[in-house]
Amino acid sequence: MKELEEKIVQADSLETLEKVRIELFGKKGILAAEFAKMKDVPGPEKKAFAEGLNKNKSALQASFDVRYEVLKAEEIEKVLKSEAIDVSLYGTLAQKGALHPVMETMDKIIDYFVALNFAVESGPMVEDDFHNFEALNLPKYHPARDMQDTFYFKDGGLLRTHTSPVQIRTMLETKPPIRMIAPGTVFRRDYDITHTPMFHQVEGLVVDAKGKVSFANLKAILTDFLQYMFGDVEVRFRPSFFPFTEPSAEVDISCIFCEGEGCRVCSHTGWLEVLGCGIVDPNVFKAVGYDDVSGYAFGLGVERFAMLMHKIPDLRSLFEGDIRLLEQFR
Amino acid sequence: MIVTRSWLDEFIDLSSVSNDTLYETFNSIGLEVDSLTEIEIDPKVVIGKIISCEKHPDADKLNVCQIDVGSGTRQIVCGAANVVDAEYVAVATIDAVLPGDFAIKHAKLRGVESEGMVCASSELGLPDTGKGIMILDESIGTLEAGKAFGSYACVADTVIELELTANRGDCLSVYGVARDLSSALDIEMKVSEYKLNNKMKLGIGREAELQSKGIMDADLHYKLATIDTISNSFLITLRLAMVNVEGEGKLASLLAYATHTTGVVLRAYNSRIFRNDKDKICVFPTAKVKGITEIINDGKVLSVVGVSQEASVTANDATKEILLEASYVHPDTLVEAVSSASLKTDDLYYKTSRGSNPELPFGLSFLACLMEKYTDISCYEGSLNVNVERENKTVIVDVEEISAIIGMDVELGKVATILKKLGFEINSMGNNVIAAVVPLFRHDITHIQDISEEIVRIIGINNIEAKPFVFAEKARLNDTTERYKAKKGFKNRAVGAGFYENVSYVFSEKALLEKYGFSILEEALELANPIAEELNTLRSTVLVNLLNAVKRNVSYTKKSIPLFEMGAVFDSKRAQSDVISFAFSGQVEGENVRNSGKPKVIDFATFTQKVGAVVGAFELVPCSYNNGLIHPYQSANVIVAGKVCGFISKLHPTVQESFGLPETFIAELDFNTFLPKHINATPISKFQGVYKDLSVVIDKSMNYYEVAKVLNALDQPMLKDIYPVDIYEDEKLGDKKSLTVRFFIQSMDKTLEDSDIETVMNEIMTALEKECQAELR
Repeated sequence: MKELEEKIVQADSLETLEKVRIELFGKKGILAAEFAKMKDVPGPEKKAFAEGLNKNKSALQASFDVRYEVLKAEEIEKVLKSEAIDVSLYGTLAQKGALHPVMETMDKIIDYFVALNFAVESGPMVEDDFHNFEALNLPKYHPARDMQDTFYFKDGGLLRTHTSPVQIRTMLETKPPIRMIAPGTVFRRDYDITHTPMFHQVEGLVVDAKGKVSFANLKAILTDFLQYMFGDVEVRFRPSFFPFTEPSAEVDISCIFCEGEGCRVCSHTGWLEVLGCGIVDPNVFKAVGYDDVSGYAFGLGVERFAMLMHKIPDLRSLFEGDIRLLEQFR
Repeated sequence: MIVTRSWLDEFIDLSSVSNDTLYETFNSIGLEVDSLTEIEIDPKVVIGKIISCEKHPDADKLNVCQIDVGSGTRQIVCGAANVVDAEYVAVATIDAVLPGDFAIKHAKLRGVESEGMVCASSELGLPDTGKGIMILDESIGTLEAGKAFGSYACVADTVIELELTANRGDCLSVYGVARDLSSALDIEMKVSEYKLNNKMKLGIGREAELQSKGIMDADLHYKLATIDTISNSFLITLRLAMVNVEGEGKLASLLAYATHTTGVVLRAYNSRIFRNDKDKICVFPTAKVKGITEIINDGKVLSVVGVSQEASVTANDATKEILLEASYVHPDTLVEAVSSASLKTDDLYYKTSRGSNPELPFGLSFLACLMEKYTDISCYEGSLNVNVERENKTVIVDVEEISAIIGMDVELGKVATILKKLGFEINSMGNNVIAAVVPLFRHDITHIQDISEEIVRIIGINNIEAKPFVFAEKARLNDTTERYKAKKGFKNRAVGAGFYENVSYVFSEKALLEKYGFSILEEALELANPIAEELNTLRSTVLVNLLNAVKRNVSYTKKSIPLFEMGAVFDSKRAQSDVISFAFSGQVEGENVRNSGKPKVIDFATFTQKVGAVVGAFELVPCSYNNGLIHPYQSANVIVAGKVCGFISKLHPTVQESFGLPETFIAELDFNTFLPKHINATPISKFQGVYKDLSVVIDKSMNYYEVAKVLNALDQPMLKDIYPVDIYEDEKLGDKKSLTVRFFIQSMDKTLEDSDIETVMNEIMTALEKECQAELR
C-alpha cells in the first residue's frame, strides 16, 4: 500500500501520473486484481476484506486527485511562462489624435450653457451692415466702429466682426423669452502677435418681459460660469462701454498665473480681462421690433480662454496645425 | 488718455486719496487704468543754483560750474551745451543713486575735480524734455538751492494712463477726468477763476469782426492778443512729455497744454492773414454742409472747424499778433460729414470726433491766463463769438425702472446726487421720477439705460449683489444644438481614428485655388480689402489649407501626419456650407517594435478605412471630381444613400512634389450628409445562414462597383450580404482578372437546404454572365 502511494507522489508529470493511474485503477490494474481476489475469500471474511480494499482505494484516489491538481497547475504555469512577453515595449503603440484646444474650449463653454438650457444658435459668416452694425446700435460713422477693423466685400457685404449678428437674427426670427448662445467664427482685419484675422467667439443673450432680467442676474451667471471654467477665481466687474449694451461691463478674473500677486501675463495688475457684457441697449430691441422686454448679453473670445486655461504662449500657433502643439492635448 | 496726479490736483483735492484708491476708483468707474507709474527721485538729487560757469581749460565741450547745492558750493563739470543758459538746475550730489543703479561719485574730468552731476530728465527716469540738461524755473514751485528735486509734486508725479471707451470724449481732458473722479470720490471740484491781470483796455471789436454765413452748427469763440516774445515753462514741457503730447514750438506747446487740460479744442492763427484793405481783421465762418464749417478768407479755405487748419495761417513762435480760436461741433454731425466727404484731418480731430468740451470760455480764458503767466502778452478785451442754440436733452428717470434694470433697489436721493455730481441738472417730477437734463459734454447719453450705466458706474458693480435668473422653462434643444452635438461626435471619432484637429483661416489664396481648379468667388462678390495676398479670398476647399499645415509639419520632421478639419467653405456665389476634410501624409503609424521601426506608408485602403471609422459606411465609385489635387487613378466619389457627397483620393504626385510631401491622401466630404438619421431596426433571422464564395473571371478594366451594381439589383431576399474578398491577375489570365466575392445567404423562415443555396448561387452566376460577361473560374 505504501509502495502504491509512493508511486502517485513520485509522478513528476501528468503523463507519468496517467501511467500510474492505469497501473492502479485501470481495468487490468493492481486494484482490479485485488478485487478479483474477493471471490477466493471465505464467506465470513468477505465483508472485512471488501471494506479494507475500499478504504485503500479511496485513500489512493484522494492522493491521486491531490497530485493531479498539483501537476495540472504546474503544467498551466509552464504554458503561461512560455507565452511571456515584455509588455513594456508596447505602451507606445496606442494611436490617438487630439481635438484642437480652441475647439475643445469652445465645447466646454457650450456644454455649460446647454446644461443651463440655453439654445445654441448660428448664423452666416458673410453678413450685411444691418445685422453686424446698424441693428446693434452702431450707426454709420460711429467711432466704436473703429474698434473693429472690418473685411468688406466688393458688393458691400462683410465678414462678421463678432457673433452679435446672430442675436439679431434670432430675435428677428423668434419671440421672447429667449435664452441662447452663439458660438462662431469671426473676423477682424488685424494681424500681429496678439491678433489673427480670424478667431472665435461665444455670445450669450437672454431676453424676457420688462423688469425680469437685471444686471444682478448677469453677475450671477457670469461669476458661476467663470468659476466653472477657471476654478476658484475671484471675479471682478468694471464698467465699460459697448454700443449694444447699457450699462456695460468688462469682467476680470483674478490672475490664474500669480493668484493676484501681479505677473507679466496680467501686466502686474493681478487681474485678467476675459469677458464683455451688459444690459441690452433699448436701441437694439427697437431695431428688432421688441417692446416691453429686458435682457442681458455677453461675449467672449475663445482663443483667449484657451490660451489662459492651457498656458499657450502664441496665438498664431493655434492656426498652423502644428502637431507638436496639438499632440500635447491627446 | 494720460493724466498725472498733480495735474488732476489742480481741479480736485486729492491730498486724502492714495494712489491705490485712485487706481481702484478709475477701474470701477469704467476708466480702465492701463498703467500707473510713480516717479521716484533720490533725495540726494537737489535744486542747484549756478553761481558761475566757465569753459573747461582742456575740453571744448565741457563747462566747469560752481553750483550752490544748499549745503555749500560744489564744482561740477557739465557736458551739456545748454548749461550756460541755466540758473537753476537739478544736481545729483555725491552718493545719489540714479535709475539703472548708477551711483554718483567724486570724479576727475580731464584733470578737473567734479562733485556731482547736472541732470537731464532722462537721467532721472523722467520723460525726455529735450536736448541737454533741464533748465528749471518756478513753474514747478519756489526754487531753493538744496531742496530735494523729488519734493516737487509735479516732478515726482504719478502718471496714469487711462484706456477710454469710445463714448467717453468728455474724459479726453484732465479737467474731464477730474470731474468724473469728483462724483466717484464724492469730493467737490475746486473753484478756479481765470482772469487776466494786465488786460488791454481796447475792446476786440476795434480791431476785428466776425461774420458767419449760413446756418451755423459750430460754436466759435475768438480772442485777439499781441505777443512780444513767447516763452513757456519747464512745467509745461515736463507735463507734455509725461502725457506723450508733442507741440512743435512754444506756442504749439501752450495750445496743446491748454487743450489737454480743458478739453476745449483750441487753435491759433496769424491774424495778419485776416486783415482786409481797411486793415481790419475779418473772420468769415461759413457753414458748408451740416457739420462742416469753413473759415474762409479771400475765397480760400484756411481751416475746417474741428478738422484741420492750413499750416500757412497757423501762428508760430515768431507771430506777433495772434487770433486764438476755441470751437465745438457736435461729434455725431461732424463725424458723419467728415467721413462722407473724406476730409483730411489733423491731430485735434480725435478729440472733436469723440466730443470735445463745449465750455469754450473756460478753454479760451485758461489759455490766455497760461500765456500771460509765462509770456509777454496783451489781450484785447472781450471775445468774438458765434454761439449755436443747443438744446440740452432731458431724460425722464423713473427710479423704479433703474432699480429693475440693475436688479437692486436704488434710492431717489442717491440717483439725484450721483447725476448732479456728473454735471446733470435734476428736476423732481414727483412719484420717484426725476427729469435729468444732460450736460452738453455728455452727448453719449440719450435714454434711461444710459443713466443706469452712470449709476452702476458710480455705485460700483461690485456693490451689486448677484441674483440668479428666474426663467419659465421650456426645452431649448433646437436643430443647431443637435448639429453642434453631431459635430462634436464626429470630432471625437476622428480623434479616436488618430487624426489631429486642424483649425485654419477660412481665407485662401485666389491664385492657388484657380491653379488647382477649385471654384472661386465671382469678381463682384470678392473681398474688397484682404489682409494679405495668401488670404485674399474665401476658401472653396479646406484641403489647400490642410496641405499647408501638412507641409509645416513635414518641416517639423513629423513622419506621420493625420489631420482633419471641420469648417466652412464658400461657392462662387458665396453660399456657405460645412465640410469635413482629411489629409493623411507619410507613415501610417508611429515607429514601434511591431513594425520593427519601419511602419508602412499610408495607402488608399488604410486611409479609406480611417475615414470610414469617422463618418460611417459609404460606397466608392470612380471619381467624377475634377481638381488638381486628385490622382486620376486612385480616387473615388464617396456615396452615401445613393448620393455623391465628396471624394477621397491619393494626392496628385505633382502637387505632392510641389508641397514637398511624402505619400499623401486626401478626402473632403459634405458634413450635412453625415448628420445622424433616424434608423429603424430590421428583423434578424433565427435560422442558420451560410457563407459562399464565388470566383469569376471578368475584364481587367471592369471595376468592382459595376459587378456590385448587378448583384445589388438581384431581387433575392435570401442574399443578406455581398462583399469582395480577393482580386487576382496573372499572365495566364491576359486582359482578364479573377474576382472573388463572398455571399452570406440566409432565410427568414427556414433552415437552408443545399438546393436553396444552389438556386441563389445560380441566380447570381446567371446575372453575372449576362451583365458582366463573367465566366466561372
